[in-house]
Amino acid sequence: MGSSGRFGPNMTPMVDVVLVILIFFMAATTIAGQEWFLRTDLPESGDDQDASLRLDLPTPMLDVSLFVESGSPGGRIMVQGLGNEARTLDSLLRQIESMDDADAQGLILRVGADDRVPYGSIVALHDAGTRKNMRVAIR
Amino acid sequence: MMRRRSIISDTGSSARVNVTPMIDVVMVLIVFYLLVGQLAMDRRASIVIPRTLTGVEETDEVDPIVIGITRDGMRSLNGIETELVRIEAQVSGMLARSPQTPVRVRADQDAPYRFVRPVLDALRDMGVGKVELVTEQQI
Repeated sequence: MGSSGRFGPNMTPMVDVVLVILIFFMAATTIAGQEWFLRTDLPESGDDQDASLRLDLPTPMLDVSLFVESGSPGGRIMVQGLGNEARTLDSLLRQIESMDDADAQGLILRVGADDRVPYGSIVALHDAGTRKNMRVAIR
Repeated sequence: MMRRRSIISDTGSSARVNVTPMIDVVMVLIVFYLLVGQLAMDRRASIVIPRTLTGVEETDEVDPIVIGITRDGMRSLNGIETELVRIEAQVSGMLARSPQTPVRVRADQDAPYRFVRPVLDALRDMGVGKVELVTEQQI
């Protein structure tokens, strides 16, 4: 093939296709996001009481429970534990986002959830808390 | 670029470029990316992890214990599907040998919390105070 210029298969289309495939795989590998981790505390029940006793101070804590609203068709994720009324998870996420960094720093966000709550919602709340330097624990 | 070279070679046979080594290299690269993609697919196939804006990157110091949870509630330990009882036994054994081993939970974003809670409770009972929730970097 190399010795004769006229004979032998024309490699050009194959090289074109192969290069396109190569670029596709390289791009696909780059686009797939890298994994990382959210650090979460798993407190024993009663841990926080002990902590407040030791420090002799009330522990600043947001203790919330997520649940799926039974009436709504899509199953809205609601949050209980802040005030008397349940509110949507989205509104809590927005509120955390708009919090002053200094206020949020050092706050403990304790999250609980009922059986039907998708894990992704808990992680979304965790993510919002971590962005504000809160310490997040899952009950 | 290759097209232009083949045109040159049609007009003057002495200027023909030997593309064989390049095709060899490109083929090897394609096979490499296919294999990597396949391996990554095996690991990720059944679990769609949530995306987050925050997180801690891999440090690679110690091999972690990774507990996988699919949206259907299938659980796995370091990629091998097992029941919760076995996971508990094996993880407590691993932690007894090296207590500093990080424990990671790799759960599907749509998995209801009822599939995740037993795992976290079991870890809590073992005295694991911290877990890492595996997420994907949101770009």
